[in-house]
Amino acid sequence: MVDRLERLVNLTATLLDTRRPLSLEELADRVEPRYPDDLAARRRQFERDKETLRELGVPISVETLDGFGAEQGYRIKPSDYYLPALDLDDAELAALHVAVTAVRFEGGAGLDALAKLGGRAGEGAATALAELAVEPLVPALFDAVRKRASLTFDHRGSERHIDPYGVVLRYGHWYVVGHDRDRNAPRAFRVDRIEGAPVAGRPGAFDPPHDVDAGAMVRERLTYGDDRRVDARVLVDATRAALVVDELGDDAVVTRHDDGAVEVVLRVVNPEAFRGWVLDLLEHAEVLEPPELRADLVAWLTALVSA
Amino acid sequence: MSPRPLVGPRLQRVLALVPWVLAHPGATVAELAARFEVSEPELERDLALLPLCGLPPYTADRLIDVTMIDGEVEIRLAEYFERPLRLTPAEGVALLAAGRALLSVPGSDAAGPLATALDTLEQALDAKGRITVDVGSPGQLERLQQAALDHERLELDYYSFARDEMTTRVVDPWRVFHAFGSWYVAAWCHRAGAERLFRVDRVRGVRATGERFDPAEHADHNDPEALDAVYRPRPDDPRVTLRLAPEAGWVVESFPHERAKARRDGSWEVVLAVSEAAWLERLLLTLGPAATVTAPASARRLAADAAARVLARYEQ
Repeated sequence: MVDRLERLVNLTATLLDTRRPLSLEELADRVEPRYPDDLAARRRQFERDKETLRELGVPISVETLDGFGAEQGYRIKPSDYYLPALDLDDAELAALHVAVTAVRFEGGAGLDALAKLGGRAGEGAATALAELAVEPLVPALFDAVRKRASLTFDHRGSERHIDPYGVVLRYGHWYVVGHDRDRNAPRAFRVDRIEGAPVAGRPGAFDPPHDVDAGAMVRERLTYGDDRRVDARVLVDATRAALVVDELGDDAVVTRHDDGAVEVVLRVVNPEAFRGWVLDLLEHAEVLEPPELRADLVAWLTALVSA
Repeated sequence: MSPRPLVGPRLQRVLALVPWVLAHPGATVAELAARFEVSEPELERDLALLPLCGLPPYTADRLIDVTMIDGEVEIRLAEYFERPLRLTPAEGVALLAAGRALLSVPGSDAAGPLATALDTLEQALDAKGRITVDVGSPGQLERLQQAALDHERLELDYYSFARDEMTTRVVDPWRVFHAFGSWYVAAWCHRAGAERLFRVDRVRGVRATGERFDPAEHADHNDPEALDAVYRPRPDDPRVTLRLAPEAGWVVESFPHERAKARRDGSWEVVLAVSEAAWLERLLLTLGPAATVTAPASARRLAADAAARVLARYEQ
């Protein structure tokens, strides 16, 4: 155990210090404690070490050593390894400590991050204020956003190609927002509806506009990727008006009736989701416009009555 | 003998510890142990490992040099570890999202150390404005947070979603927190005579009662782990059996159920505990033809009756 830890530290130091990639043979000649002499055992042991380092995020690059690609060399490029100088002071570290203890994610990645920045300063928060959803794909999507790499993924049964501008957590759901290359329009996608693993293209593939407001793209409900978009007007009676206005915001209100009822306008990109939203209000809401959405709802209800 | 620690976490600590000591020579063992959340003996074991490490050929001038005088630590000959390892994407997301979430809560200091730390981090990660966290701030949030701090007994107007009705009740709110995308207040409800979770966005009115409550009385109930207590089926809640078409299979994953059986054609038969009819009405209206109530007989007309009630609005 101590031997292995010692070798992992030495391997990291050697790979960071070298200016050219080193072959496994060269590494075995240099790094202590020694790798086994038996070639198969040596390779196995080295692969295990490499895997452990990668799990911690140590970026080991693999390069071809000769013109034929027969032999591979390894190194850690300092520019890939080193955290840029942040120079956070203790008040800032203490504030981040409060943040990762007050706002919790499963898995403790926030505390691991904090250790790299200089550990725990201050007391942290005694109780959690918020518990945020963890979505396993989000780190990879965030990485693509950072590197400006285009993404390809399957979403609700169709393949999408987007230039991702940001990730957004809203009302317990993660979204990735960006420019949909096929539809040539801004779109937001619920991450939990992405099927399989997204594939990222090469870094630096696009320049995001300077004025992107990723949060607004999700708020505006550009979330389903349908192409037809229509504004629907819904009458909500007085007993539920305040709840709906809180949810949609004052901007959504177009008329206030004397009896306290309100008319609100919603941008509908997914008629099915819209129907669910209206029906959650039971008999306290009525679709006024457009005629086709009103007719759609009436037909849906009529079928249920006669079922 | 203590159990053998995993190599990963210890290596991770060493790779974080060394750059910190290089940048802060003279840090004490006690301070380092607190910062990196290990016991002092454990930290001393980490430090004892370092002089065995370095670069080939591991001669004295190539090995890491650790000196410890009066508990103050200095490290030399480890220039290659002068900067910590960069953050993994998962660490970057966790740190930025937690920070952004806290910063968006009413009452946080938009220009304080948290804000400046996040700006610095985002700049360094080339992620300025790339993570947005919106936890929302429903109208009564601050009022309820203050009441929980002050142990203030309140009268609430509360919209019960499950029953689709407005209610008024006196509560002792002890904790306000955000989970599953919503704000909740955990409180003792005097009307129910039990602990209840209320969604803050459904609190429509708050009135002072002029009374305070003794938090110690509720100490047994204050269970921070009870985040899943939004709806727990009770033994005497009515059971309803639904037949679900394959496309409505998400219902099985989304709600606590007594029993679920997948059929060969991809459809489901599921038994749900239903405390309030309005909740089931909504579910059935949304599912439409994809769901049928098979038992009890008294619930079979539920969807049709609710649909007729809504439809009446459209036929005036």
